[in-house]
Amino acid sequence: MKIKLTLGSLGIIALIIVFVISASVVAIIDSRVTNKLDGVLWTIPAKVYSRSLDLAEGSKVNKSNLMKELGMLSYSENRSPSKPGEFTYSKDNLRIFLRGYEDQKSGLFEVSFKDGTVTKITNQLGISVDIVRFEPIAIGGMYPSHMEDRILLSWSQVPSILIDTILSVEDQNFFNHKGISFRSISRAFFTNVKAGDIEQGGSTITQQLAKNLFFTSEQTIKRKVMEAIAALLIEFHYSKEEILLAYINDVFLAQSGKRAVHGFGMGAQHFFGTSVTNLETDQIALLVGMLKGPSLYNPRRNPNNATKRRNLVLGILQKGRHINSSSLEEYKSRPLKVVSPSFRSETKYPAFHDLVRLELRENYQDPELRTQGLKIQTNLDPVLQESLENSIKKTKAQLIKKYGKELTELEGAALAVDIASGEIKAVVGSSDPSKFGFNRSINAIRPIGSLVKPFIYLTALNKYDEYNLTTILDDSKLSIKSGGEVWEPNNFDKKFHGKIPLHVALWQSYNIASARLGIELGYDSVQETFNKLGIRKSIERYPSLFIGSFEMSPFDAIQSYQTIAADGFYSPLRSIRDIKDLNGNIDLSYPYKIEQRLRPEPVHLLKFAMKQTFISGTARGYPKKNIESWQAGGKTGTSDDQRDSWFVGFAGELLVLVWLGFDDNRPTPLTGRSGALEVWKNFINDVQPSSVEKNSFPRVKYIWTDKKDGLVSGQKCKNSVLVPFIIGTEPNTIPSVRNKCASKPKRSKSDVMQKLKKVFEEGQG
Amino acid sequence: MNNLRLVVFFLVLSILFSCASNQNNEYITSDSISVSEFSSSVELLVSNTNFLEDEILKINAKNPSVQRILVNSDVYLREGKLIQANSELERALRITKKEGAIYLRLAHLRHIQGLLAESKSFASRALLIKDISSWERLLLNVYLKRPI
Repeated sequence: MKIKLTLGSLGIIALIIVFVISASVVAIIDSRVTNKLDGVLWTIPAKVYSRSLDLAEGSKVNKSNLMKELGMLSYSENRSPSKPGEFTYSKDNLRIFLRGYEDQKSGLFEVSFKDGTVTKITNQLGISVDIVRFEPIAIGGMYPSHMEDRILLSWSQVPSILIDTILSVEDQNFFNHKGISFRSISRAFFTNVKAGDIEQGGSTITQQLAKNLFFTSEQTIKRKVMEAIAALLIEFHYSKEEILLAYINDVFLAQSGKRAVHGFGMGAQHFFGTSVTNLETDQIALLVGMLKGPSLYNPRRNPNNATKRRNLVLGILQKGRHINSSSLEEYKSRPLKVVSPSFRSETKYPAFHDLVRLELRENYQDPELRTQGLKIQTNLDPVLQESLENSIKKTKAQLIKKYGKELTELEGAALAVDIASGEIKAVVGSSDPSKFGFNRSINAIRPIGSLVKPFIYLTALNKYDEYNLTTILDDSKLSIKSGGEVWEPNNFDKKFHGKIPLHVALWQSYNIASARLGIELGYDSVQETFNKLGIRKSIERYPSLFIGSFEMSPFDAIQSYQTIAADGFYSPLRSIRDIKDLNGNIDLSYPYKIEQRLRPEPVHLLKFAMKQTFISGTARGYPKKNIESWQAGGKTGTSDDQRDSWFVGFAGELLVLVWLGFDDNRPTPLTGRSGALEVWKNFINDVQPSSVEKNSFPRVKYIWTDKKDGLVSGQKCKNSVLVPFIIGTEPNTIPSVRNKCASKPKRSKSDVMQKLKKVFEEGQG
Repeated sequence: MNNLRLVVFFLVLSILFSCASNQNNEYITSDSISVSEFSSSVELLVSNTNFLEDEILKINAKNPSVQRILVNSDVYLREGKLIQANSELERALRITKKEGAIYLRLAHLRHIQGLLAESKSFASRALLIKDISSWERLLLNVYLKRPI
């Protein structure tokens, strides 16, 4: 059968083909429109925040740290604060207009301090308030590959002035057209000709949304047609409010490093450090004005352009009677006052971000983190973090100056944690802390040197029937056959020190006495202590273990010292506080966990010896007043050939560990004292921890003993030191040479009780 | 005769000081009290969780700001919102670590959550605080004596 192709039939076939192709194109665009508007646009990356600062009556506050935090939160000084984000500080009095966060309402508050402690908080009516909460600082996010960052706004969160401004500038006829408006195009044309500038665009908001969502910015007829079809389809599927809200959440406002800032919610945060509901009309005018050219009118890069554009938008608002003439002049006179961006890439603090990721991995899949808008509140203290980063950088520069350029490649890691709760406050994983890559705080596994010694001494002190702080150890020459070789440890000063009390051996960090003690205690006992301190790794049974061949990461090392600093109470270190969903409900919390692993008294004795490290030992040099008020203690560590320099120390409520060394493991000129301790000191001197009260140990008594023989001495005797003992284990022998100056230990209430108990038990027997 | 006086004196003192007696390798801090032998009201505290909870929630913090947070936490606890109650307690602990009232509630909360070892550890930790009252001490000891 032959089909005769006439011109008419060819025309019909062509029409059918055109119709099918058009229908397919429309169907494809329709599918993309609904998919994107229903799905992808509303996928929000998880955001990571620092801890939020609470101030309450009794809170201990370091003024300098508070000022730094206000600076990081972009609060600005104003003698009479009248707007959110302003404050003034004078004579121990902070007047601050809080921006509001969660249950903390925005408003003016007055906080009074005395001796670094909050004494009173009142609101603007002068009524006493118990607690005020500052907003946390955004420190990073878990972004999809396109790195779009936005804070999703609901219709109720959009201020009416923002809607008025957008419609006045971008699409005055929005509620009357069906996606395309020839009236808008012609009106924009005449307005722009009259103004001699481009005041209005011809595209409707729906067209702009279509363009932003699906198309590139190329100016071709094909794209314009596709964009028009998409605009019509959007209008067909969605209400005007839904379209406007999608536009408000989607518009591109800025590029910040790798991050693309989308939507007015994120724009408000990025440029003004606050939520969109706190924005004033001039700030909204600036953001809306930027839509025309986010780069050209970027207020940070091009403040003059941005100011002109803002003022133009304000003029449009006045013409539309949304603001009056006097407000117009007032808004125009205001400076732009944009804040610094809190972070430009995935995170501001890469090492801390790694820890957050590791913790999240146990409970969340990657897609959940990248799409569900989770809000991760961490334990990071931004002031401590900045200080720790600066301390590493500053110390490295000082060391290069002192030892020469051979230290140019020196690397480092450091962590600061809250002793009691295990909250991780700050982490540095590189000597260039903002650099992404190898995170030494968790991945550098290095010999810990003398940092191992407190674990050995704790093993001994835990056997309090056999050992106390004045038990005499032997620091004379030691030779042991180990693995077919003779092992002869040496002290750092290359000397032997003979018979010395246990506590002196620790704070002087004598290797030989420590090795002998470890051998005496046995590997099993030492392994048991390691386990109690949270070390899961098995020890290798070589005597060099006892003087520092054991390898750990800085993270694992500080975890084991947390248990010591917390008097035997182990708390797993945690970087995250809680995770909230988009509605603000807690999705998952990471609560404070605690487990008593050791009796507090032996740990208290160990901490006494670690305090001596600061008073007379390898970390000496601090004023005694500070050591006492911080209840400070610490330990230096240096590995073989000075390849690793360590220091760990507690001061106030903080435990801080520092490691310095080369990645290729070559020797450094540094010891624990000359390297890592310097970082620790720079950090602690900067943050000035608050003082802490001593804990109560009724089963411990202090006795004057001699630093050399460990026997009873007196305050007036030479070389005497007040040493703690678990009651019943204290020495009571006064050598004849000290008969005159020594004081016989007083009996405590508990002594009397012990004696009475003994008499009673004997009587019963 | 002297020995008899001594025995009487010891009995009086032992009631006053209620010294710790548990030596069976558990980590008990310095001031644990032999609660089971103390009095019937103490026995009630040990055996009746609701009675114990009532007593715990009567303990106020000395710091008024902390007290307000504890009130919030108590409301959450009564409503069975244990995560929120815990968040409030941790918030209080960040202001001060010297209040026995916070640790008591944490010990109680963990007990309700079935985390008995942790409950004991919180109680034990609180006994290291200086200047906690005898009543707080006794209540803390209840958690130390509860079987895991």
